Amino acid sequence: MAITRRGFVQFLAQGAGAFVAVGVAWKASVSKVFHEVLPSRSLAPGNQKWVMVIDLAKCDGCRDCTKACTAMHFVPPMQEWIKVFEITDNEAAGPYFLPRPCMQCDNPPCVRGCPVGATYKRTDGVVIQDDDRCIGCRNCIAQCPYSARSFNWGEPPHTSQELARPYNVEYNYPHRKGTVEKCIFCPEHLRMGKLPACAATCKMGAIYFGDKLDDAVTNGKGETIQFTKIAKRGASFRLMEELGTEPSVYYLPPASRKYPAPDEKAKTETAQSEMPGMAH
Amino acid sequence: MEAREQNLLRSVLENTWRFYVWVGFLIVVLLWGLFAYIQQLRDGLIVTGMRDQISWGLYITNFVFFIGISHAGTLISAILRVTDTGWRTPITRMAEAITVFALCIGGPMVMIDMGRPDRMLNLFRYGRIQSPIIWDVLGVSTYLTGCILYFYIPMIPDLAFLAVQPKLASWRRRLYSTLAIGWTGTPQQKALLEKAISFMAIFIIPLAVSVHTVVSWIFAMTLRPGWNSSIFGPYFVIGAIYSGTAGVIFSMYVLRRVFHLQDYVEELHFRNLGLLLLAFSLMYLYFNINEYLTAGYKLEGSERLLMERLFVGDYAVLFWVAQSLCVFIPAALMIAVLGLKRYHRYTIPGVVFSSALVIVGAWVKRYIIVVPTLRSPYLPSGQRLPWEWTHYHPSWVEWSITAAAVAGFALIYTLMVKLFPIVSIWETREQREKEEVAVPQLPGESVPVRWWKPGDVFPILAIAALLLFGSRSASAAGPAKPKLPKATAITVEWKTVPAVQASRESAADESTPLLPRGRVFMYTGRLFTLETSHDGSAEDDVKPSPVAVTATLRDSSGAPISFKPVEFSAKTGLGTLAFGSRPTLADGKAQLVIKDRRYGTYPVQVVFRGDEEYAPATFDVTVDFGVRPAPSLPRAGVLITPYATPYIAAPFLLFYGAMWVAFIYAFGYLILWKMRKFSPAAAVAQTKTAPAARGA
Repeated sequence: MAITRRGFVQFLAQGAGAFVAVGVAWKASVSKVFHEVLPSRSLAPGNQKWVMVIDLAKCDGCRDCTKACTAMHFVPPMQEWIKVFEITDNEAAGPYFLPRPCMQCDNPPCVRGCPVGATYKRTDGVVIQDDDRCIGCRNCIAQCPYSARSFNWGEPPHTSQELARPYNVEYNYPHRKGTVEKCIFCPEHLRMGKLPACAATCKMGAIYFGDKLDDAVTNGKGETIQFTKIAKRGASFRLMEELGTEPSVYYLPPASRKYPAPDEKAKTETAQSEMPGMAH
Repeated sequence: MEAREQNLLRSVLENTWRFYVWVGFLIVVLLWGLFAYIQQLRDGLIVTGMRDQISWGLYITNFVFFIGISHAGTLISAILRVTDTGWRTPITRMAEAITVFALCIGGPMVMIDMGRPDRMLNLFRYGRIQSPIIWDVLGVSTYLTGCILYFYIPMIPDLAFLAVQPKLASWRRRLYSTLAIGWTGTPQQKALLEKAISFMAIFIIPLAVSVHTVVSWIFAMTLRPGWNSSIFGPYFVIGAIYSGTAGVIFSMYVLRRVFHLQDYVEELHFRNLGLLLLAFSLMYLYFNINEYLTAGYKLEGSERLLMERLFVGDYAVLFWVAQSLCVFIPAALMIAVLGLKRYHRYTIPGVVFSSALVIVGAWVKRYIIVVPTLRSPYLPSGQRLPWEWTHYHPSWVEWSITAAAVAGFALIYTLMVKLFPIVSIWETREQREKEEVAVPQLPGESVPVRWWKPGDVFPILAIAALLLFGSRSASAAGPAKPKLPKATAITVEWKTVPAVQASRESAADESTPLLPRGRVFMYTGRLFTLETSHDGSAEDDVKPSPVAVTATLRDSSGAPISFKPVEFSAKTGLGTLAFGSRPTLADGKAQLVIKDRRYGTYPVQVVFRGDEEYAPATFDVTVDFGVRPAPSLPRAGVLITPYATPYIAAPFLLFYGAMWVAFIYAFGYLILWKMRKFSPAAAVAQTKTAPAARGA
């Protein structure tokens, strides 16, 4: 068959027609094929959007938050759902303490990567971990840039208190071998109108917690501050903002510290421990 | 039957004592690996060297390695078939076999790595197409199916041939004749077979490329330094083809030595594949330079630590060993034996030795890709953790299972070589006849071109990408009108009035149309309608209007009390938010305008602390700050939806679905259905017609 210009134009027109037809069919079908209503497990009990604000200027690295969290959730050994890091960004700035709970990202990489939906975002902003479903592939651990997830490598040691209750995603115990765990903002406390364990315990009042829709965050000392004032107009930051994870945890910079910096603290501690020796 | 073919059949017919010793040894290694795996099942992954910091180790290394090895076999065979290269015939089956067996070992490595293998079926019950793991499940299972078919279909004539070999045990003959599905070698059947093979060959090429790309995406879809790289797809594909080609060459050499196939696998094959291997090694070198130079030049953030560890630090030895084994030494060696005339006589040992180096190097390279990145997270690792938790040292369990994986691969290969002829008998025969006659055959049975039109697929994908979804307006919250009832207290009275739209910022934004929000959740449009808002949360859409709370302070006679401070506070979910105090003016009114982004109703308390003249007073009122946005998932979330996202689901399902359709056509229709129709009689007649077919 001879190739004519008309034939070729017709061929192109057919292609364009197919293009449009498929597009129309796509647009018409897509909203019918794909669900639009959230499943019940994604709906939080209340209509809140939880946020945490951590004032690094107040954190003195005592790790009471970690201890309270571990006690409340019976966190297995070697896991710290809220971990206090000692960070030195540069020599001149010196070290500071950085408590790192789960960031409860609005664009969570772990949720993206989970093959079975064992970790999922709830409407109150909490990234829930369902260990009834987790297959232990640890893709979420690889995905999390904050190293906020831990795995039960062996059978975790159990206590009778821990085993007394049936498993629930809202408190995430009894712990089970071969599954991933993390900080979940204590939804059980939130249901009761209480602060999460870490925020309630912090003696320095460094951890503020609250509902973003309330525009108020409260710390363990009962101080309530306006969220927008500190987090939007203040010099607040979120960890690794450049990764686009949109965390729900905000930090206030470690400026004008209200505690001895880690290196000074180490000095005074050694000095104190040397004191009794000097008395002899 | 010629002596040549007799020789080919010997591998299937005869067993020596060496065979039994070898199989026995492999079984012992396998059993040891099984023992190790049982330990792991009992105690959990604690028996491995992996911990929270380095949570993937040897198993994932093995997975990537074996998938890589599997890569080249089918691809080489398919490319050689599509281009109708004459010298391919003795080696295609060996190559295809490697693919199938390596996949059979590589796939289960991921299951061994799982913490809860008992929940494997959750992958199908709750599978989320947004997860790279599911892409792998889709890709590898499709690829395995395709490779088994592609291995099996060209073998059908040989199976029919074997079914009539009197020397074989009867169960084996029965097996072969079942598997031969009525092949008698009629011209129609031959035409169908050729069609099915070339059809499969063409579909298997993009499938093979896709599978290793998808494997690389497990890493590249993370935010880890070293993995967060856009080049990972092609980098892995080339690495896989490279190691796979080396695997093909090495297995060719082993089979040639063991079964004395010198007549079939000649120096020519080593030379040709060696040239291919050399080309791949240079390409791999290029990719390595590209990958590490771009990261090492900038030394950005956490990548600095990773690059230092790789080039000069903890992993430097392994890194340079991997690079030398993978690229430098084999490339130099192959350039020498293939390029310099005086070393031509070392072609076979040189190429085979290079291949062996490449195989080992490829494994080390996979380790170097997996482990050092996990060792170098963004936040400092190893604070308040014991040394073993931040440094990866594979345990005996992992090494045992790795050894068992290699042994398992060798065992399947050995047994399959015993069960099926490893050199295609009918194809080599045809090729030989072709060469002897030296007259090209009619191109009648060549690859059909009709059934694939590039115009069909790309417009669909392109239109999918172009379509954006319209917005839906949602109910706007009307301005709140909080009211303060009359004070009952001794001297004080409070009132709140709604403020005018006085705030500077909200006036403009209020008029913009609202985006879809609320319970209705547009999974459909999100990938390409990304919000640019800086926190992307739902309440950005509705700006609450400011609320003015006016407190009027009066004494018992009703006269206003001027210039006294009154404090305002609101009871929020978890605490009490103090707004500070305002003085009352001459008319006894103190006004507080709250412009916060607050939603819902709150009890607001106004307190007058009292002084010498006036007694303290308190008043509570419920203030409505505007309707709370309906609960929804954050708009900033991409691909976190509980349901399949069309833009991810459609391409994957279309691509792998097309593959499955192709398999069903090539195997189900062409082979199972149509070929049976051309078989002259029922299965009983097969054994009698087969020798006739052989003569034809």
